[in-house]
Amino acid sequence: MKIHYYPGCTLKQKMTALDISARKAMERLDVELVEPEGWSCCGAEYPLTEEKIVGLAAPIRVLRQVRDEGGDVLVTTCSFCFAVLKRANKAVQDDPLKHKRINAYLRDDIQIDPLTKERTTGFEDYNGEVKVLHLLEFLRDRVGYPKIRERLKRDLKGLAVAPYYGCRILRPRGEMAVDEPDSPRLFEEFLGAVGCSAVDYPFKQECCGSYVSVSLPAAATEASYRILRSAAMAGAKAVAVSCPLCFYNMDHRQEAIKEAFLDFPGLPVVFFTQLLAWALGVDKSLLGLGEHAVPADGLFTEIPLTEVRP
Amino acid sequence: MTVKATNKEKEKRIGLFVCHCGVNIASVVDVERVAEVLKDYPGVTFSTDYVYMCSDPGQQMIIDTIKEKHLDGIIIAACSPTLHEKTFQEAARLAGLNPYQIEIANIREQDSWVHSDKEKATKKAIRIVKSHVAKARQNESLEPIKVDVTRRALVIGGGVSGLQAALDIADHGYDVILVEKNPSIGGKMIQLSETFPTLDCSQCILTPKMVEVSRHPRIKLLTYHEVESVSGFVGNFKVRIRKKPRYVDETLCNLCGECEKVCPQIVPDEFNMGLSFRKAIYMPFPQAIPGTYTLDAEHCLGLNPVRCGKCKDVCDKKAIDYDMKETITEEAVGAVVVATGYDLYTMEALGEYGGEKYEDVVNGLEFERILSASGPTGGDIRRPSDGKIPESIVFVQCCGSRDTEHHLPYCSKICCMYTAKHAMMYRHRVPDGQATVFYIDVRTGGKSFDEFYQRTVEEDKVLYVRGKVSKIFKEGDKLIVWGVDTLTGKKVEIEADMVVLAMAMVKADGVQDLLKKLKIATDIHGFLAEAHPKLRPVESLNAGFYLAGCAHGPKDIPETVSQASAAAAKVGDLFALAELSHEPTVVPVNDELCSGCGICISVCPYGARSLDPDRGVAVVNEILCEGCGACASACPSGAAQQRNQTDNQIFSMLRAMLRE
Repeated sequence: MKIHYYPGCTLKQKMTALDISARKAMERLDVELVEPEGWSCCGAEYPLTEEKIVGLAAPIRVLRQVRDEGGDVLVTTCSFCFAVLKRANKAVQDDPLKHKRINAYLRDDIQIDPLTKERTTGFEDYNGEVKVLHLLEFLRDRVGYPKIRERLKRDLKGLAVAPYYGCRILRPRGEMAVDEPDSPRLFEEFLGAVGCSAVDYPFKQECCGSYVSVSLPAAATEASYRILRSAAMAGAKAVAVSCPLCFYNMDHRQEAIKEAFLDFPGLPVVFFTQLLAWALGVDKSLLGLGEHAVPADGLFTEIPLTEVRP
Repeated sequence: MTVKATNKEKEKRIGLFVCHCGVNIASVVDVERVAEVLKDYPGVTFSTDYVYMCSDPGQQMIIDTIKEKHLDGIIIAACSPTLHEKTFQEAARLAGLNPYQIEIANIREQDSWVHSDKEKATKKAIRIVKSHVAKARQNESLEPIKVDVTRRALVIGGGVSGLQAALDIADHGYDVILVEKNPSIGGKMIQLSETFPTLDCSQCILTPKMVEVSRHPRIKLLTYHEVESVSGFVGNFKVRIRKKPRYVDETLCNLCGECEKVCPQIVPDEFNMGLSFRKAIYMPFPQAIPGTYTLDAEHCLGLNPVRCGKCKDVCDKKAIDYDMKETITEEAVGAVVVATGYDLYTMEALGEYGGEKYEDVVNGLEFERILSASGPTGGDIRRPSDGKIPESIVFVQCCGSRDTEHHLPYCSKICCMYTAKHAMMYRHRVPDGQATVFYIDVRTGGKSFDEFYQRTVEEDKVLYVRGKVSKIFKEGDKLIVWGVDTLTGKKVEIEADMVVLAMAMVKADGVQDLLKKLKIATDIHGFLAEAHPKLRPVESLNAGFYLAGCAHGPKDIPETVSQASAAAAKVGDLFALAELSHEPTVVPVNDELCSGCGICISVCPYGARSLDPDRGVAVVNEILCEGCGACASACPSGAAQQRNQTDNQIFSMLRAMLRE
């Protein structure tokens, strides 16, 4: 199965571990991830003012490209990209005025024929034809957990992992609609399917500090500390995330956390795709573990799966 | 047909009375001209105008004119017939004219109130009146259809509203059948501890009523029974009632309790909201009525002496019978009081409060059981997880209520008061305890309610924080409550040992199928709909059905009792009539024209029409027919003609109205 995949800029620069592990894992599930031609940055943040239409042009351009390549689904792993693409898509579907204005911007994009180098214009309007899915959602709805269980090669021995949703993939309620925002099961079920045991803790939807990391590092340090502490108290051996910024705040910032909060013992943070790839038999060298500030190697111990899980 | 109609038209002497309605009509319609123009219209014998036709002198004028001019048809050109048709029908009756010879031509709501051009409005009024003249010429004199009344009521639900309604109807001297689906009467009120604002014990004030119901010679009490269906019509309902097998003969059981001791099956106790356990053979609570054990077949090891049979072995009275079967009986009643109660909104719906996850986050009814002397802790306030006396309790109001975006838009009405009571009771019993209440605003409308709330704040030192709670989670032994104080604009974090959620009141889940079968009107939230929100608050739109208690919407005990008594009084009104009158403007069947196609049967919303298999024609139950006319318009052969609204009359009206 070939499926359109939008990695987003961070996955090409700072957090290649998320990109590579996702590709390798999906290969093992017979899914080839194809990037849309000439994709650009999604804008990273959905415009917070009604009027700021131009912020929607970038994500819609990406979605239009997917449609024009014959795709009907676009999968992302980065939570920020997912939120921007999905909300922009919904705005075009639901709001006739936004639909009209965005398409007015995009109609005059210039198209260059790769062979003749001829420049033309006049794109067809984008009407929300593509469905935006988070990779976790794609695994649940399109691949299916039974298939993952079938393909497992390594035993994670019920590793206690705290699923961390962050702020982007569950809300706004109704718009993101991947799961019930106050009592989600999506991440927990995924962890169960790859052989981990999901740890229940109250901070799984709380904010990690997000962009405040730049302007008020101390606030992000405290926010991340509370999440990690809560997960550790609940017995987690690691926190699994789906967002590069969450990863940055909780992993790269742990040195600062330890300085500010002396009681904090440290806790490895991993991408959910690393767990998936490992369980499916991908080589450790391809997981991008070198990008971790807090060593996570210890979590990935070679235990072949001896019995088929039900 | 037309020849006959023309003959009739010639015979009639019609009088026209045009009303000014002060300036309501006269300022836009030239009423004098209307009366003048119609003077010479065919069939009109007399025509006049008057400032208020509905006034006493106006009505007297109508009466006098009918007698003087020997009128046999009347047209009142005035306001909508929904307002004064009855008034003028009565005036006609006093003058010796059949009330169905009265026609109301609406020249107010349909003319003067919606137009401003006097010339055009006057012309429209003339056309409207002419069309009614055409109709009046063919009106027949009709007599109301008389029906007997079965003077016996059915009350569905044995909570405080059902009990009160049953007692009042019985005290009026009529027989009552009270049906309760649970093993005992008492409803939700019997589960409560103290009641606001007087703090009298709920059980102490309700049990006398329960006993009275069980002993009343006019009340037939059917517990562990369910209403299967109600058919028929006001005054003449047929009710099918299903008796669920109790597997214990209530006349033999002497409450020795030996069966309960030997029963091996342990089940969460519904009466204590699952905070304690009961056996599969059980008595719901000590004062249960009827006083008998009930064997819960769902949890019994199999109603089979081979598999267990311990209870049967120890029962000296031989009261236990595993072979009891469900039975269905049919009863005739004249009125139905629906008092099916409410449920609480599930804590699952508010995942962020952790009600489903943490044992120490409880709903209001669970806390009532914890407060109750007959509850799982004997009235000591102890938290469910470890039995510790909580040092701090946070009470959260409006859990699901008044949240248009995510939950329910309405106010559940009783939560402000019971939360104040909960906090007060906690402070009385745990004097060192810290009680904090989160509220949107405190609504204390009710006699002595605000004084009670003030006492909670001032004397009992309960801390009220205005704001909502965003999240509740557990850290170690404590519950952490995150909220906001909207008066200071600050975030609040409180450590608590227990949290009580004032969950919204919602429609009772277990009776929705029944309500569907009764075809009783409900509002958008599933509560029963009243016939008129102000003027007919205890009657259903469905004739013969009356509403009582929280099935109709959230309300407290005094209001519930008042409504139940009002419903009983309305039942009394119905039963006091010698016979019921039904509007005669029904749609009979002309046997000669009817082909028996059955279309009218399929369109009738009241189930009034059926096919006579012997004669192959439709027949109508005139009592069930509401005269909506759906069948008359659907009938392809003209066999269904509504009385005083025949096809001929409608076409005559159109001709009169459209002719220049």
